[in-house]
Amino acid sequence: MRSTSGRACWKPASSRADYGTGVTAFLVRRFGFACITLFAVLTIIFLIVRILPGDPAQVILGDQADAAAIAALRTRLGLDRPLLVQYASFLAGAIRGDWGVSLVTGRPVIQEVLSVLPWTIELTFFALLVGAVIGIPLGVWAAINRNRVPDYAIRIASLLGLSFPAFVSGILLLIGLAIQLRWFPVISGQRSTWTQWLQSLVLPAINLGLIMAAYITRVTRSAMLEVLSEDYVRTARAKGVPWRAVVWRHALRNALIPIITIVGLYLGVLIGNSVLTEIVFNRPGLGKLIVGALNQRDYTMLQGMMVIYTLLVVAINLATDLVYGIADPRVKLQ
Amino acid sequence: MTEAVSKSPPSGLSRLATAMLRAFNTNKTSWVGLVLFLVIVVLAVLAPWISPHDPIEQDFFSKLQPPSATYWLGTDYYGRDILSRLLHGARYSLIIGIAATFFAMVLGSFIGIVSGYYGGRFDTLTMQIMDILLAFPSLILGLIIVAMLGPTLTNIIVAIALTSVPSFARIARAPTIAVKEREFVEAGRALGFSDARLMFVHILPNIAAEILVMFSLWTASSIRTEASLAFIGLGLKPPTPTWGGMIREGFENILESYWLALMPGLSILLVVFALNLLGDGLRDAIDPKLKGEQ
Amino acid sequence: MIKSTLLASSLGIVLCFSGFSGALAQKTSLNIGLASADAGVLDPHMNSATTGKSFLQQLFNGLVRLKPGEISPDQIEPDLAESWTSSPDGKVWTFNLRKGVQCHHNFGEFTAEDAVFSLKRAATRETSTFSSDYAAFDSVEAPDKYTVRITLKNPIPSLLGVVMNYHGGQMVCKAAVEQMGNEAFRRRPIGTGPFAFAEYVPQQYGKLVANDQYFRGKPVLREITFRLIPSDAARDLAFQAGELDMLYARQDQTSFNRLKQTPGVNAYAMNPAEMSVLHFNMTMPPLDNLKVRQAVAHALDREGIHQFRGRDVSRQAVSVVPNGYLGTLPNAPLLPHNLQKAKDLLTEAGFPNGITLKTIHTTLPGMLSFMEAVQAQLRRAGITLEITPVEHATFHQQIRQNLSQVVHFQAARFPVADVYLSQFFHSRAIVGTPTAVTNFSHCKVADAEIDAARSEPDKAKQIALWHEAQRKIVTEVCAVPMNESLQLWALRDTLDLGYEVKGALNLGPGVLETSKFTR
Repeated sequence: MRSTSGRACWKPASSRADYGTGVTAFLVRRFGFACITLFAVLTIIFLIVRILPGDPAQVILGDQADAAAIAALRTRLGLDRPLLVQYASFLAGAIRGDWGVSLVTGRPVIQEVLSVLPWTIELTFFALLVGAVIGIPLGVWAAINRNRVPDYAIRIASLLGLSFPAFVSGILLLIGLAIQLRWFPVISGQRSTWTQWLQSLVLPAINLGLIMAAYITRVTRSAMLEVLSEDYVRTARAKGVPWRAVVWRHALRNALIPIITIVGLYLGVLIGNSVLTEIVFNRPGLGKLIVGALNQRDYTMLQGMMVIYTLLVVAINLATDLVYGIADPRVKLQ
Repeated sequence: MTEAVSKSPPSGLSRLATAMLRAFNTNKTSWVGLVLFLVIVVLAVLAPWISPHDPIEQDFFSKLQPPSATYWLGTDYYGRDILSRLLHGARYSLIIGIAATFFAMVLGSFIGIVSGYYGGRFDTLTMQIMDILLAFPSLILGLIIVAMLGPTLTNIIVAIALTSVPSFARIARAPTIAVKEREFVEAGRALGFSDARLMFVHILPNIAAEILVMFSLWTASSIRTEASLAFIGLGLKPPTPTWGGMIREGFENILESYWLALMPGLSILLVVFALNLLGDGLRDAIDPKLKGEQ
Repeated sequence: MIKSTLLASSLGIVLCFSGFSGALAQKTSLNIGLASADAGVLDPHMNSATTGKSFLQQLFNGLVRLKPGEISPDQIEPDLAESWTSSPDGKVWTFNLRKGVQCHHNFGEFTAEDAVFSLKRAATRETSTFSSDYAAFDSVEAPDKYTVRITLKNPIPSLLGVVMNYHGGQMVCKAAVEQMGNEAFRRRPIGTGPFAFAEYVPQQYGKLVANDQYFRGKPVLREITFRLIPSDAARDLAFQAGELDMLYARQDQTSFNRLKQTPGVNAYAMNPAEMSVLHFNMTMPPLDNLKVRQAVAHALDREGIHQFRGRDVSRQAVSVVPNGYLGTLPNAPLLPHNLQKAKDLLTEAGFPNGITLKTIHTTLPGMLSFMEAVQAQLRRAGITLEITPVEHATFHQQIRQNLSQVVHFQAARFPVADVYLSQFFHSRAIVGTPTAVTNFSHCKVADAEIDAARSEPDKAKQIALWHEAQRKIVTEVCAVPMNESLQLWALRDTLDLGYEVKGALNLGPGVLETSKFTR
């Protein structure tokens, strides 16, 4: 929930134009930067897992294993090799897509991740949808009523929305809609029919979506304020283009670029924060998988998930940058 | 970079105080936030004297009682008074939230100022590392750190602090770059002042207002992260009353006694909202550019 | 704008259909809610946890079985064996197997060779948690395809108890283990029971499908899904909402009363009760001092805990062996609750300012709440109990590494005193030793009585020996038994398990081939 740093976030984004001159150079630079980031994070992950207390072999075999069996397993897992060799093979594995095998279930990490990924993706997507549907109109409305009652009301309401820890809002929704009114199921785990699927999705999506909406509202408002002060908007008004058209057709379209960028930056955070929602609504997902792996000291799972997560974040950031770089005319101009 | 800062003369804490006061008066919601927050702080400080009951003592014969004259907010699963636990819990929330954010602010601002002041490759490298840390959501990062170190007061503070260092570094760096080009810094450099003196005597007071605003916003965030960690089960050990832990316990009784989870939930909401009101209003006042048209 | 219309209409649909969610389900699939995030190792010879046992019991048979719903050892009936005989000295047992029993997933017929393999596997330390149960086994042979012969070194209190559908007595198919290896078998367990393994997704669910070749007949239910929901509230809510047909209920009086009053729901408080015992690690100061242990025992209040846990869903412990086991000492000299006595004893022991004890404890809510109640009781006597909560699996691992000063262990065992005594209080079972089981206290005062009772042919003398052992353990204060909590389960009243639900040794009511929905 990097809510409050929202505006601070997109300021550097607009200065990204400095990074390159042509579009190609820009893309190359961004891609290079993504690679460096990836490499650095992989190194940090490798070190963290080595620093963690406890011997994985001991953990796998349990307390009753004898020393010989532990040594044999260390050899099999490659833990007896020099640290540099381990590091090289870890990096090679991470790049090749070999992200290890869970200590607890014995299944490949990627398989475990893929089995819950659809849950996370659909939750994220619908949360974004809810957020955009509520947040963009509210943000625009607040911007065009700047410093009037609707603006104050929306700003305070969105601030309240941003103040909710996801589990508190989740519990409030559960108490209200699932327990008192009984409109929705409580476990989001059933999805054999279409209605069950939709039912299981609605509450968690609303929960994350409302927080998202508060965020998008604020981002939209400030982006709109900036755009509305630009010359071409004044020109359009002076030319007699109706106010409504100026706002919705011209200004919003331009404001969307920073909005998308910031929402893109927020997506990684959104995925991470789905943990609390997943716990409250007992819904499978990446967040719950990470918490489970931590609880069970499933080191390989943890390492694999951090690698996958890093790849995801870096990819999303890269994609956001590219979209931004291509969509923003100012980047092309420079 | 920002109007309020660029118009103010070089240094001095009194200038900072004036700037803050002006900011408060520009945006009245800040006052509301400040008053709310101070009320909570006072209640937390006075908790041992104003709590109607012992927050830890159990009474199995008054388990799960709804709010009443004896127990204003009811009792929990162990027959402990919820109001007393809330008041004591506020202490832990505030201590962790403020301490963690303070350390993050000190470390982050240091990194940001140094990085922005020297610039070049050093700056690029530092900011890349900060970007990587930023890429991990604070909750997941905090989760991993606390799970590794174990859930003690110090460890939780360290974990939350580490997750917000990058943000402070970013916040401190941008105005540093703007300020370091200004005449008074140039003049100081010509006079042969050391880099350290320039950074911390001349530049720091000029960017302090922005950092302090972020401090209130990030304290809100830290309090929320602490509660989330406790809710997941990585909070202070029982029987210590923490808001997140109370919600975790209350969640198990949600069918019979929903107030168990509701009361601490609303408490967290209130304190986070108060800090957000405070910080958001100040930010708008201090950084008019962010308000949009001028 | 299209987006918002879509969302609005889908919301509308949800609201319309939400009322019918229960009616849509096919009534041949059963949904059961279990109380942990993970079922553990899917191997009947390894898994001793509640969740794992409730799940695995449908997959396996024993040579004999307890009548469904019963827990008393005298209610044994044939299972894979149609009949059995024993030699007069009780040392040689012969079982005649049923013919034509098929292993799941086409692993062939279950014969005497499988039974021999399975029992040997259960007796091997590397492949079985229960190997110590088979310490008296001399040999297990298959004289022919349908005969199993067990020869004992000395007679044991209940041989049938270790060859029945419980713990190591559950029969695995040899071909399956040999072809797949133990590792793969634990991901796809193969037995002969009414339901066969289909799928297991950690943190989510385990699924079983009907075994149409089952020797007692084709199961009525086609599918059982065990949902893994650690949160009591979420599980309960799901049951209320009709998403579960049967659940492991919250171990709490208030919830139990509410479940009982819910229309269309049958709630059961079943035996065996799991007894909560506080084991004191006597190798760690200050617990090496008898006076300190006595002080702690005096500070504890069984009556208070009974009130806390619930009058109808728990009962006070009477001895270091649970109520109703063969050989339980009904009036063991447990130290009464007496705060002044506790403080005096601490002062005598040289701790006038109280002591601090450390315990590693599971985060399972039912157990943790008990420990927090204990913590509050001890606090009144100036004893600080520091609880370090860890995940359940880690807890089990760490208490076996001698890391916890006080160990709260909650368990039910085969209802014969010998099992509880030899697993928790015999020096052979001390944790950290090669023959370790679950002796956390390092208690060794009753070794002679426990050993003598095991091979004592005279029933009365045997019981007297067990009583003497308990008296010694209680006097030494190796451990303080506190409370026994019954198994609380709730079933939808449309679900007929095919037997009277009175008890479940496997810690969950088993689903049979005859189990069905009545509506």
